[in-house]
Amino acid sequence: MNNTWGDMAQYDPVTWHWIIAVYLFMAGLSAGSLLIGIGLRWFNKDQAQGETSILKAAAIIGPVAICLGLACLVFDLTKPFHFWLILINYNFQSVMAIGVLALLAYSPLAFAYAILVLRDELPKWGLGFLVPIAKLLMPFRKLIEVLLFILAIGVGAYTGFLISAMNAYPMLNTAVLPALFLVSGLSAGAAANAVLALVMFKTDSHDKTLAKMHGLELPVMAIEIMFLFMLFCALYFKGGAAAVALASLTSGVWASVFWIGVVGVGFGIPLLFMLLPAATRHSKGAMIMVACASLTGVLALRHFIVYAGQSYLS
Amino acid sequence: MTKRYVMVHDENKCIGCQACNVACRSENGVPEGVTRLQVRVEGPFGEMPHLHFKYHRVSCQQCEDAPCVKVCPTGAAYVGEDGIVSIHGDKCVGCMYCVAACPYKVRFMNPETKVADKCNFCKDTRLARGEEPACVTVCPTDALVFGDANDPQSDVAKLLNTKITYQDKTHLGTKPRVYRVPTKRGGI
Ligand code: SF4
Ligand code: SF4
Ligand code: SF4
Repeated sequence: MNNTWGDMAQYDPVTWHWIIAVYLFMAGLSAGSLLIGIGLRWFNKDQAQGETSILKAAAIIGPVAICLGLACLVFDLTKPFHFWLILINYNFQSVMAIGVLALLAYSPLAFAYAILVLRDELPKWGLGFLVPIAKLLMPFRKLIEVLLFILAIGVGAYTGFLISAMNAYPMLNTAVLPALFLVSGLSAGAAANAVLALVMFKTDSHDKTLAKMHGLELPVMAIEIMFLFMLFCALYFKGGAAAVALASLTSGVWASVFWIGVVGVGFGIPLLFMLLPAATRHSKGAMIMVACASLTGVLALRHFIVYAGQSYLS
Repeated sequence: MTKRYVMVHDENKCIGCQACNVACRSENGVPEGVTRLQVRVEGPFGEMPHLHFKYHRVSCQQCEDAPCVKVCPTGAAYVGEDGIVSIHGDKCVGCMYCVAACPYKVRFMNPETKVADKCNFCKDTRLARGEEPACVTVCPTDALVFGDANDPQSDVAKLLNTKITYQDKTHLGTKPRVYRVPTKRGGI
């Protein structure tokens, strides 16, 4: 305190910190992995050989990631033990309240779907007592899948709407943000599905569904890059405070996070691997490495948006 | 007729003494380290020897279209019947959405109550007793005027009708109810 008017700490425009970035990442990851898993199942007509390992991976990541994310969210509250207040009071003008409702439906459904998809695995993990529930849920599989798919789109986009609903910050207050978060959630979901399928379910790296998912990566990445480009263009042409926020791309620690983390690791490494000969590219080690690079990139993107976005005020 | 409480800060009269800041803290029990009100002395502006400072009141703008109220998931941040933007402490979970969403950065988490806090025109303290806000009463130069702008006979209404005023960040559509009379001339 070295001025007459007092402590300035409370006036730091960066209100939300890394823990919220992790929450946004986890929610996007959960939604993305289920969207990819369910989407591929619908797309694959030959479902004779039982559940694919990609779907099994998604069935685990979906509920686990959303729980980790929600734990981050709750412990970031100043009154974590009063979190139930948010479950009984709703302001429907608030994106967060709508998100809470969506998550209230999404999370239990994600667990239900996991029990259903993993019914053959459960006994191996000492969770055999859940198998009757899976049998009970089986007739409703299609319904659960459709609902979960729609809710996952909602949850993925909601993480973007949550922070784009604040006109205090020009970089966050843009229409592309929800779309960008949804798409980058898909790329995180695909990557995490691949890792879990390869490591936990010992999928062969030439597996058909895995290859199909692999085929999605390039178009998803292209859309992500396009949305990022649109975001920065929108800021540039808006001028004023919005254009000033573009400085976050050229100076400060968040510029490094963007260029090294998001562009270099997140886009660069997967693209470089695509240039390698097919045999190397399709080895298990290479696939896991590419997937980890994508995940790192998406996590870096959430941090960049959260911090750089809050650093510039309208 | 409904009330429309507003405050006018005359930046010509203000001397940046922080009496208002101190009075607000003691009246409303604002803990150390956080503030509902600061008067920032900005500048100097202009060329020597015609330097002047700007006295910028930083407190809740009592937005008529308040972003903090819109984003609050529980309705803890609310607009009262008197039009004053305030907080139901028992409904607040401390998600800080409102703190992030406030374009003026004047909301904070009260470290004692763990609840969002900010200027509420002394709604619970002096206004409830029919008195003027603490900052207004204590100001040695009468730089602050408070009252119901919908009452044409009130001092604020007359002041707003006769003086040029501006508000902060009107481009965001928040319709702030803190008006400022801009500094007219230099000279320290
Ligand atoms: S200035 Fe900030 S805290 Fe006050 S009403 Fe406006 S948005 Fe809410
Ligand atoms: S911190 Fe409290 S008042 Fe602010 S948005 Fe969250 S619940 Fe509402
Ligand atoms: S009106 Fe009351 S609460 Fe607001 S700044 Fe003045 S003294 Fe503080």
